[in-house]
Amino acid sequence: MSVHFDDFDYEATLLACAAGERAAMQRLYEQEAGRLFGVVRRIVRDAALAEDVLHDACVNIWTRAASFDPARGSARGWIYSVARNLALNARRDDLREADVPHEALQAIDDQASLAAWEAVSRSDQWADSAGRVSHCLAELEPVRRDCIMYAYVEGLSQKEIAARVEAPLGTVKAWIQRSLVALRACMS
Amino acid sequence: MNQTTSPNFPDDADNAQQALAGEYVLGTLSREERQAVDALLGSNPALRAAVDAWQQRLLPLVSLVEPVAPSERLWQRIERSLDHADAAAKVSPAPARAAPRSVPWWRDFQSLALWRGLTAGGFALATLLAAVLVLKVAAPLPGTRYMVVLVAPQDRSPGWVMQTSSDRKIELIPLGAMEIPADKALELWTKADDWNAPISLGLVKPGERVQVPLDRIPGVQPNQLFELTLEPPTGSPTGRPTGPIHFIGRSVKVS
Repeated sequence: MSVHFDDFDYEATLLACAAGERAAMQRLYEQEAGRLFGVVRRIVRDAALAEDVLHDACVNIWTRAASFDPARGSARGWIYSVARNLALNARRDDLREADVPHEALQAIDDQASLAAWEAVSRSDQWADSAGRVSHCLAELEPVRRDCIMYAYVEGLSQKEIAARVEAPLGTVKAWIQRSLVALRACMS
Repeated sequence: MNQTTSPNFPDDADNAQQALAGEYVLGTLSREERQAVDALLGSNPALRAAVDAWQQRLLPLVSLVEPVAPSERLWQRIERSLDHADAAAKVSPAPARAAPRSVPWWRDFQSLALWRGLTAGGFALATLLAAVLVLKVAAPLPGTRYMVVLVAPQDRSPGWVMQTSSDRKIELIPLGAMEIPADKALELWTKADDWNAPISLGLVKPGERVQVPLDRIPGVQPNQLFELTLEPPTGSPTGRPTGPIHFIGRSVKVS
């Protein structure tokens, strides 16, 4: 397994990419490709498509590294925003609108996801690395927290979330909007 | 020349932007809404800052996802693409940005090309964005009947949203900060299809939300043109637009 992300200097690596150092891009890939692929695959739900997205993300990171501005956020955040944006844009509507509670979601292991949340949210490493978002998510009502997690981690649409939590779409929309307001207030 | 007022900015616009940015990062916007936000990010520093902040807030959640190794071949494929990208960058440096349009609005009006352009692609996108901002996030005031999204003519990036707040007033809401030359002012114009010439609705301050009284015109009708042009500090000396277009859009009936 790769080193923990705290030990890896993402910013210096990205700056080296901006300077055209191919070895830096390779180090970044070796460091982060696994997690990036996991994140992207969750969102697009198709391994081949996820590889295409990760490929495009790496090309984007390489060609746009010079546009990374440390004043706007962390280098690791920038890398994930590039990959997540591509993944969200690549989500296929035909996969997404299919019978939500049964087929598409079988690919996603509910129990594992929730167990991971339980385990990770209790661990010291999570508390350190997640900082306030962990604490603030914990303050949300469980069903509202699930909506946020399903959206961000699983890449589910609001309609899919509504099916998953068995609540009306309008309710889910309102929960998500209020949860975002609460998270922002809690983390400010 | 109507002098307009600028009350209660920026809470509503700020909340709307925060909500939009949060859902953009969370991933719950529709494809069209995402595209509208993507189109806005380049020209709207406040929205971009809100998106940046949400990305940083939610980033720790990626540690909930187990890493999965992609196939061994993927890195080679990426390397080949990086080679191509590097070679392409050497051959064709990025094209210089097109010079801002300087043809006066009035003279350009008859060409129709710009208006046709606004109804293809760009304007549809802008309308969607307005739907996101005004209808979805900040519910319209009771009685709202028309909405206008004013976009920059060069890149169609939305700059202002207008909504009728009563029969006699229209509210102009900026989507971000903007700068104009110190010796210039922004003047708002409107023209319905069957009018002979545009009518001035007064000067507006860049980046400030304003209520514009409609006492000089009969009202707002569908597809009515609205424009912001760059004029001398006291407004156009001729009673017609003389400077370049900053933003332009047409009214859409929303309720």
